[in-house]
Amino acid sequence: MDTQLFHIFRNTPTGRETFLQSVYFCTMMGVSPVVYVPQHTKFLMYFEKDVVQVDLDGSYLSSPETAEKHARDLAEAEDLQLGFFKPKNFTASTLPDIPVDFDFMCCPRSISDLTSKIGLGYIGSRVRRIIQAAHFPVLITSPSFRKWSSVTVFFGGSKNAVNALRLGIRIARKTGMRVRLFTQVDGGKTRDDYEKVILESGLGDDMERYVDDWLLFFGGKFEENLYEVPHDSLILMGAYGHGVIRDILFGSKMETIQSVMPNNLMVAGPHYLDRGV
Amino acid sequence: MLKRLCKRPSALPRIQLDDRLILMLAGVMVGIASGLAALVLNRSLEAMLEFVHSLRGHSWAFMLPGAGAAASAIFLDYIMKEGAGHGVPEVIYSVSRYGGLLRLRSSISRLISSCLTIGSGGSAGPEAPVVMSGAAIGSNIAKLFKLNDRQRVTLVGCGAAGAIASIFNAPIAGLVFVLEVVLGEWSTVNIVPVAIAAVAGTEVSRFFNGNQIAFSHVSFNIGVADTVAAVGLGLATAIFSILLTRALRSMHHVSAKVKFPVWGRAAIGGCLVGLLGLLFPDVQGEGYHAIREMIVGDYSGAFQVAAIAIFAKILATSFTLGWGGSGGIFAPSLVVGSFTGLAFYRGVTFLWPSIPLVGEGCFALLGMAGLISGILQAPLTAIFLIVQITGGYEVILPLIVVSVVSTTISHYFEPASFYMKDLVDRGQLLRPGTDARVLNDLSLGELIEKDCLAVTPHMTLREFVMVVKRSARNHFPVEDPETRAFLGMVDLNKVRPYLFDTIMYDAVVVEQIMDRDVLSIAYGDELSHILNIMDAKGLFSMPLVVNRRFVGMISKATLLDKYRKELMVQTTDNP
Repeated sequence: MDTQLFHIFRNTPTGRETFLQSVYFCTMMGVSPVVYVPQHTKFLMYFEKDVVQVDLDGSYLSSPETAEKHARDLAEAEDLQLGFFKPKNFTASTLPDIPVDFDFMCCPRSISDLTSKIGLGYIGSRVRRIIQAAHFPVLITSPSFRKWSSVTVFFGGSKNAVNALRLGIRIARKTGMRVRLFTQVDGGKTRDDYEKVILESGLGDDMERYVDDWLLFFGGKFEENLYEVPHDSLILMGAYGHGVIRDILFGSKMETIQSVMPNNLMVAGPHYLDRGV
Repeated sequence: MLKRLCKRPSALPRIQLDDRLILMLAGVMVGIASGLAALVLNRSLEAMLEFVHSLRGHSWAFMLPGAGAAASAIFLDYIMKEGAGHGVPEVIYSVSRYGGLLRLRSSISRLISSCLTIGSGGSAGPEAPVVMSGAAIGSNIAKLFKLNDRQRVTLVGCGAAGAIASIFNAPIAGLVFVLEVVLGEWSTVNIVPVAIAAVAGTEVSRFFNGNQIAFSHVSFNIGVADTVAAVGLGLATAIFSILLTRALRSMHHVSAKVKFPVWGRAAIGGCLVGLLGLLFPDVQGEGYHAIREMIVGDYSGAFQVAAIAIFAKILATSFTLGWGGSGGIFAPSLVVGSFTGLAFYRGVTFLWPSIPLVGEGCFALLGMAGLISGILQAPLTAIFLIVQITGGYEVILPLIVVSVVSTTISHYFEPASFYMKDLVDRGQLLRPGTDARVLNDLSLGELIEKDCLAVTPHMTLREFVMVVKRSARNHFPVEDPETRAFLGMVDLNKVRPYLFDTIMYDAVVVEQIMDRDVLSIAYGDELSHILNIMDAKGLFSMPLVVNRRFVGMISKATLLDKYRKELMVQTTDNP
């Protein structure tokens, strides 16, 4: 249990749903939850090459007197011991620094805008920057708590997709769940091409051991094919592998997935480090 | 010769685009950008001061600094969402802890907020905001080019140097300020790019403003008496720099007790400055006009007026910055220093009229150096700044004396400078190559030794000996066989007598020889704290326990090994 998940606690019913998702993930993965109950609406995360300022919406500061108790009760109901993070370093008196050496982070689709924006089709700019800069994957929860019983990895053959597959295998190893791959074939590729990428990434044996289904679509619209993904599956994907211009011109698969699928998403960014090995 | 070279192009000298060259080129870029930022702030301030000046005749004019400070606080807090602070400490903090990472928004936020505060009449200086802005520009250019931490820190320094060089038209002052105050490190890897950036920043200023110095040059014929008197002035400026430092800090505490929003507090502070300005107009704004008068000997106020003006300026600066206005303390320090120098001169000549002192203008500029030295505890910055902004090298001897005396006395009463006091108090001033910095740059993750073999409490000594045979370590965590909860440790050194007594092999279980009262480490513990515990308790290693589970051991030997490697990285001269 030396892996930790970082959660910014919001003491509201919506925040409870997000936290329950964290608790469930920690229980499944044997991860220790570390909870931050914010006392300021701003904080900084200093990554290796970037500093991200997160401006929380005001609801994160609501009822601070009961926040820790509520978080502890929810965790203890699942027999989890909670660690509370208290900032030690401050860039300015109202601007604490949050460490970035966690293994996972959980947040809703948006942490800095109004709670009305937590619905599908919108991932806040701060969450995006955290994903882009962090070496840990970010668990982006569905609006209300839902358990997951399988893992679906979106695999398009890119470096980030390989990261997502590594993450999927890590979760499968811990939870005993089987992994399903989802691939929307494009550019005239064949299954062999994708398998070659997997073998070259040294994931051949793990693929045999943990992956039991591969949804390979050679045609059809991507959005329509997404229907094949079970509603109770944790979706894993890589993000921000392409340049901004390509994403604007051709669209991003991640944007499509997050705007169509209500499932819990776990996104590994370009700097993801597989600490589960 | 040329023909021969053309036939053999490989013989041509080739420019290698190595790291140093990249840093120099980036330094030029950052110097120009930060120089332009300083220029924009200067021009904006001039425009705003001109506009505000036309409103001075109204009875409500005393509220202008309040309105400006409130607008500045609203802009900084609600629009840019920046935390409070003067600017320079944030840059030093970022250099100390995070390899100079600064937010992009910082490159413009302080420029606008300080323009609102100072332009409306608040008592503050534009230098710290341009340092913040230049440093943020440098940091973000480093990010754009994907430079490493060390290179980013150098570019942060380049930005700060370019800004100071541009705003004062003083390249050496910019260079020295950065090395002495911001980076705290004099290495060739920094000096060259920072010097280039300072030159670039100065050139930007000269291109648009001409080669003007901030204060007109006056020749002084310095004698021994002036150098001796500089000792007394050093003492006086040290007192006022301590007073200014403490007034600013105490005003922060006072304003924090007022349960008003940030902009409301800033407005109160600004209005108080406005009221003070009705009596002493010189305390408003950056105050350079008064300095110019003092240096050329045109200041008409009497000794008493100059002496009171010192306190008025300190009060006005405390109201402005302590209550939430935006700006720096460079310019107010210069003003307080020049008033101190003037008052000192007039006091001495009144008491001992026969002493042949050179003139009050000279003492005004010596006073500026004394205040800057005292408040920043950076004597070289003060000396080079005053020499460059007044164009007078002939005062160098008393300048050195006053700076050294002021720094020494201030340091005695305030061991950390104004910029660094908060950081020192919080243990966050981590200069390169220092113990704290090296430990800060190491993480627990890279020190954990996970090859310890766990044992269970009911294991017999015989079984334990078998585990010992397979292990290369002296420590064995004891875990609950069902929950894997950490119960304690077995230290081989403590149980060695049992291991050689075979009669005990089946009579003793691990539970009887384990140490239950084990000091453990948790994630988030600072390495300096861990080392302190090890030293105090005479331990050579400690277990890392997370969520009641043993994770690994942190040993002093591994820590010191990594420490040495990190120290070598930090003190080597490669970018």
